[in-house]
Amino acid sequence: MATPILVVDDSGMSRKLVIKSLPVNWDVEIHQACNGQEALALYREGKAHIIFLDLTMPIMDGFEVLEAIKREGLNAFVIVISADVQPKAQERVKELGAIAFLKKPIKAEEVLHVLKEHGLL
Amino acid sequence: MTMNNANLSIEQIDALQEIVNIAMGQAGDSLARVLDSFVRLSVPRIRLINAPQISQYIAEIVGDAEQITAMRQSFYNNFCGEALTLFSSEGCRDLAPLMGYQQPLDAETEKELLFDISNILVGACLNGIAEQLGADLNFSAPSIMAANVASSQLFSPDTLPWAYALQVEVNFSLEDHKFKSHLIIMLAEDAIIALGDSLNSFIEAI
Repeated sequence: MATPILVVDDSGMSRKLVIKSLPVNWDVEIHQACNGQEALALYREGKAHIIFLDLTMPIMDGFEVLEAIKREGLNAFVIVISADVQPKAQERVKELGAIAFLKKPIKAEEVLHVLKEHGLL
Repeated sequence: MTMNNANLSIEQIDALQEIVNIAMGQAGDSLARVLDSFVRLSVPRIRLINAPQISQYIAEIVGDAEQITAMRQSFYNNFCGEALTLFSSEGCRDLAPLMGYQQPLDAETEKELLFDISNILVGACLNGIAEQLGADLNFSAPSIMAANVASSQLFSPDTLPWAYALQVEVNFSLEDHKFKSHLIIMLAEDAIIALGDSLNSFIEAI
């Protein structure tokens, strides 16, 4: 069965770049959200086994999404993909349960590395 | 005034937004390292406006009542224009201890502090944009445009040398501090056209 993955970013271009960086022939069902609120709704519907999450977003940002998911039992692998590259941002998302922090612009080999490292491929 | 000559499509704005997002992340990181503090970044907002409207937009961003200090720094080479960094006057004083300056600040020291911050933000942000677009930029030294004035007094529309303002609203704020700053990029008409061409190449490469 295809793995449900969720790509969360307020920029359509950025979502496109994330989707393009995913391994080819990976059996996934891709869902997209443009803010944290939409992302949480999809997560609760079980449409997010793996989440590619931006941090800086309107309505609800990535930190808040991580907090909510953590509160609700962290039933997803969250890979943060952010332009906010401050060491403190990286520390915070790890504390909140993200498995990895990737800097924008995203690189396909880094995505591949994280997925392999966590046995997600 | 019409904007027939210089315009950016929705797709170009979306690309620019993401480019600016990455650039401001780098700028925020530089600032965070200097201040040893966590910098809150907002979602950048991009609008191409006629320069004479700029006072109105600035009032919208910073609020009418707020006293602001503005720095200007021009850039040239592939794109020509000017970057304005706006600070709330109160926030500047709040920043001094983080930069290792003794309070109270004398005018000379305050100026020095603003030059430093402006250089960091403008340099990192514009270099980040230029780098992603494969463009080269050079910068002149920053200068003070106005100190402690109401936002409405910042510009007299007749004296603006630029036809367009690419209003890149990038807000940096510090947790537990009053410091806030806004960055606005002013561009001449041919620079907007050159920017549009660069964005097209960027979009095609995706």
